[in-house]
Amino acid sequence: MKRTLNKILPLLLITLACDPEPVLLEQSQVIADAGHSGVYVLSEGLFNQNNSTLSWIDFTTGKADSWTSATGYSFDVFEKVNGRRIGDTANDMILYGSRLYIVVSESSTIEILDASTCTSRKQITLSSNGRASQPRYLTAHNGFVYVCCFDGTVTRIDTLTMTADATISVGRNPDGICCTNGKLYVSNSGGLDTQNPDNTVSVIDINTFTEVKRITVRSNPGAIYADGNSVYVVSRGIFDYGTMNYDSRLHRIDTQTDEVVATYDIPILKMDIADGKAWFYGYGAGGTIQVLDLATGRILDSDFITDGTRIECPYTIKVEPTTHKVYVCDALDYVTPGSLLCFSPDGHLLYRVQGIGINPNTVGFCDENVNFSTYQGPSEIIGDIDRVFEYMPAPGQFVNLLPKYEEGDNAESMASKCLIALQSGYTITLGGFGGYITAGFNTTVVNGQGPDFRIDGNAHSGSAEPGVVWVSADVNGNGLPDDQWYEIWGSEQKEGRATPGYSITYGKPAADDGDSEWTGSDSRTGSILHNSFHSQPYYPQWYQGNSVSFTATLLPDNVSYQDGQYIMSAFGFGYVDNMPNSLENSSFDIDWAVKSDGTPANLSGIDFIKIQNGVIGCNTITGELSTEVTAIYNLNSKSQ
Amino acid sequence: MSFDVKYCLIAICTLRFHPEAQGQVLSDTMRTKDIPQVTITSDRTTNPNSVSASKKADSRLMQATGTLQVSDVLKYFSGATVKDYGGVGGLKTVSVRGLGASHTAVAYDGIIITDNQTGQIDLGKFSGSQAESVRMVSGPDNDMLQPAALAAQAAVISVNTGRPNLEDAKSKISAQLKYGSFNTLSAQAGSAFKAGQSNTVSLQGEWLKTKGNYPYTQSNGASSSQMRRENSDVQRLRIEGALFSDLSHNTTLTTRAYWFQSEQGLPANILYNENAARERLWNRNGFVQSTLTTDVSQRLSLRFNAKYGITYTRYLDPKVSNTQGRTDNRYTEQEGYLSGVALYRITDCLSASAGVDGRLSGLDGNGADQAQPTRYTVNSTAALKYASERFTATGRLNHVITKEKTKLRQAAESYNHLSPTAGLNWLAWPAAGLHLRASFSNTFRLPTFNDLYFEQIGRRDLRPERASVTSAGIVIENEASGISYSVYADAYNSNVKDRIMAVPGKNTAVWMMKNIGRITTHGLETGLEIRSQEGTVRPAMLVSYTYQRSMDKSDSNGTTWNHQLPYTPRHSASAVTWIETPYVNASCNLLYSGEYFCNGYNGPEYRMPSYCEVGCSLWRDFAVKSFELTLKAECINLTDSRYELVRNYPMPGRQLRFTATLEL
Repeated sequence: MKRTLNKILPLLLITLACDPEPVLLEQSQVIADAGHSGVYVLSEGLFNQNNSTLSWIDFTTGKADSWTSATGYSFDVFEKVNGRRIGDTANDMILYGSRLYIVVSESSTIEILDASTCTSRKQITLSSNGRASQPRYLTAHNGFVYVCCFDGTVTRIDTLTMTADATISVGRNPDGICCTNGKLYVSNSGGLDTQNPDNTVSVIDINTFTEVKRITVRSNPGAIYADGNSVYVVSRGIFDYGTMNYDSRLHRIDTQTDEVVATYDIPILKMDIADGKAWFYGYGAGGTIQVLDLATGRILDSDFITDGTRIECPYTIKVEPTTHKVYVCDALDYVTPGSLLCFSPDGHLLYRVQGIGINPNTVGFCDENVNFSTYQGPSEIIGDIDRVFEYMPAPGQFVNLLPKYEEGDNAESMASKCLIALQSGYTITLGGFGGYITAGFNTTVVNGQGPDFRIDGNAHSGSAEPGVVWVSADVNGNGLPDDQWYEIWGSEQKEGRATPGYSITYGKPAADDGDSEWTGSDSRTGSILHNSFHSQPYYPQWYQGNSVSFTATLLPDNVSYQDGQYIMSAFGFGYVDNMPNSLENSSFDIDWAVKSDGTPANLSGIDFIKIQNGVIGCNTITGELSTEVTAIYNLNSKSQ
Repeated sequence: MSFDVKYCLIAICTLRFHPEAQGQVLSDTMRTKDIPQVTITSDRTTNPNSVSASKKADSRLMQATGTLQVSDVLKYFSGATVKDYGGVGGLKTVSVRGLGASHTAVAYDGIIITDNQTGQIDLGKFSGSQAESVRMVSGPDNDMLQPAALAAQAAVISVNTGRPNLEDAKSKISAQLKYGSFNTLSAQAGSAFKAGQSNTVSLQGEWLKTKGNYPYTQSNGASSSQMRRENSDVQRLRIEGALFSDLSHNTTLTTRAYWFQSEQGLPANILYNENAARERLWNRNGFVQSTLTTDVSQRLSLRFNAKYGITYTRYLDPKVSNTQGRTDNRYTEQEGYLSGVALYRITDCLSASAGVDGRLSGLDGNGADQAQPTRYTVNSTAALKYASERFTATGRLNHVITKEKTKLRQAAESYNHLSPTAGLNWLAWPAAGLHLRASFSNTFRLPTFNDLYFEQIGRRDLRPERASVTSAGIVIENEASGISYSVYADAYNSNVKDRIMAVPGKNTAVWMMKNIGRITTHGLETGLEIRSQEGTVRPAMLVSYTYQRSMDKSDSNGTTWNHQLPYTPRHSASAVTWIETPYVNASCNLLYSGEYFCNGYNGPEYRMPSYCEVGCSLWRDFAVKSFELTLKAECINLTDSRYELVRNYPMPGRQLRFTATLEL
């Protein structure tokens, strides 16, 4: 017996000992592209697994941002920063302004994040009649984000108030949305009725936010893309049990007539457009990437990848608009974290980042300087101010909204609302030219080397609403801003392009939805126009007078009209809400403070700050220019 | 992912989530008449003469482990991996030796339960009180009268109701009331009586209702919140009656009629921000089955089985963004089954058997797009067995042939498949009761109706999924000074080839079922059991340990190469101990599972932490006149351990349960 045991036991041990260990994925070096600071990659995870993630691939460090979560290493910067997960099936993402908007389909939420820090500013839950709306895709236009939801609706989100302010009905199960020429195009898939899908594209007028037309297309339209005067929509058709596949086509819609003008027999799954060409992958062709000439429907390149790189399962494609580098996410087998592959314009693989997230579905280029801090616990106070002394906005379309005026509010209560907003990272508006806020730092901002304090706004490229900064030190030590004020000179004062001491008087409109007329000290006149996007009164409701006057430094007009769009250009330096938030763009040096005669103030530190809108600008699309403030930081405090 | 794919997957997940448990019945004829030399002690949980690893839970073990549902006691079997979605209504499937749940057959009183739609049997649907014993054989069975369909399975879990033992009494009546945490109430009544000299009738009814709204902790990154499970109510009713007839001294006929109906909410996945569980599920299942066993002569024995069963399933999601505003799926599956086995004892030691099973199964649904398949299956089997005092050898050849028809679209091709099994058992050291055993089985599972026909995912060209297991082990069973003990250790190697999995098709928008995967498992099952058989104070203990290394061997260049199969811990263990005294009986039990993964890719994001669950109970029998009253108090998950067995499906925390049983 013993002999038998002696034979069997080693056999058992050998069986147990020769188990090979599993190998996890490895990483590779990233190459920068077109001046972007990096790319965000959104991964939807697995259905009902709550494992959507947001990853950041940094072009400066050349790798994906990783950290150690409770379960091990993680590329999910969302959880790192916010201490919670995005949710289930994050389906789409756009970078708009300085914010990142993510739709989380199964959780039925919209996450609004600061693109530079990944901090969630707001989570909006979308539902109707107790049923989750299942948001699917989004697009943005003129300060609003539009979300199509699977329950047959499109919801508008005001990016400043961060609220869903209107919802309209479209066709069944919308599965794509895009925007061009002042209209939204929504593909109504009806995909939840497999036997009887929808076959329309809804056209929505952006200004009135009403559906103006339904264009009939083939059955089951899905992905939809805008390119100038054309909209391209993928129509999948009805599943064919003979071929066990879809018979998918691409329609071209002329946005002048809103008619289908061409149908290409090309089975596209997903594509991205640059310079009139579409880089796509399709049904029936495995991982092949092809290039299509959109004007003619001719395939320009039937196999874009020239170096034999194999893509198992392309899940999204993004083309850098200027360099034409092509970014493809490979979902592999849908359960393994997928990869991001970057190809040169001639189809050579430049690099591959593996294990970036499960089912990576969206890539977004980011120009902000990013800095992710690890979550430290709930109810964190943002910024370093602890008092708001005075808040007096000039009339404007966000006044009485940011922060919200409620019956009974007065100047004092509005000031406390501003403090709460700024400490929570919510936006406040200064309204038109001259509107201001005065705040106090919790400790003296010491004048050190380089930038000393930072003020974040909501500026993004082509949308600058510059505000002028004043500073003051609590010389008499009474804790009140009754000491000498010094102006921070930015590029325009320095170059002599600014008009100091410009006075303006705004009249109170007779009606709540009336325009607010103004007169300047040089006898210029104009009005703050009431628009359809914001219906509340624009004149500060808590202010008793029938007119309100301001004196401020007037900066040059920064509004120009190009290619059907108003461009609000940024100034060189030294203003709030002038450039996208970053340490470089939003920071100020106390050394820039000057006396009234323009000579350096030579302050050793400051305690108070005043921000005042420095531009008079108004256009018929975006309304008046109003400086917005989201947070104020002391860069020299111990916590930094 | 395109919505089509996503929603097809939801649908297939949903279907996977509520497979039909069909009950079936018939008396356990495991008395192995062909080897009269060996007597098997009824309360042993390991069968030392078996050529395969064999575990059995008797009524004592089920009492000690607090078996509300049959799946509860299976968690204590080494080699079995129970996947549990939590709560009474949560789906519970069992995978044996890394082969996957669809390779584990479930038999109710000797007749296989099939679910051609999903291939999975929910073992949570069998109540602990309807089973006299539960047995699991991982490999070829010694039973030569096993029907062909069961003989062709890699592993069989047998739920045996047992024949009422009336002894001298004319009749027996029992009633039981259970009340437990989360508003769980169950009532059961049964009676057994003699009808004439040779007939025994048994009737049983059971009703269970639970709200199941247990609290759980929802963790989300650094934060966590206290939630309650919603829509997890269950209501079940089971009525069955059996007639045991001794037609002659060597012929028995058992006939059973069974009815089961349930309504339940589908326990929801934890979904961050959206916890609207609202799906409902209704089941109705009825069958009549009959088994005739006869010893024609000393040498020839025959067994015939017949069954007709119907299963109705309704799934409702009342809020869906389609035209109807809801998804309301109804399925009816019908089955007719006939089986015959003949055993011929050629010599005292050598016997041969042959059997044929025929089955007709059809699935009908309310969708316009349903294929409505019908499958004709013929299983045949032929076996040889040599059994001497110290040596048992079995060899068996199984064959299956199917033919399939559909009302809509093309049907799958016929399957024609041959598969062998073999086993050895040698009483190597009689004085110590030490046996060595080894077995080999080559089995398969047919594609289910969902695999073949489900909407856009099903593919008609699937091959059967093949499994092979080689196992060797040692078992010692002995008794000394009133204490019986057994120790066993079985090592095995299993392979699953042509795994049927949902994968992206030739393009990524259309998923399809495909024979793609391959799994290799090395495993070790070991256990120890000690029971005191004498005296007024009788302690008992049962400990088991399982090692399973299940490796993905699908593609050596793939990212999951060598990764551990999901929901398969490498290490798991269990322990049960109980003591019977004249005053009170007490038990304590423990389940441990090491870390495992909830996905085929073993990345850290899929890691599931290890968990340990402890429970205990106290019970006592009182004799009140001619009644016997048993009162029992149990605490399940004593330490209130909060864990998930299936990712995002929390398990219940601490629970109390009180049971009163009255017998006359």
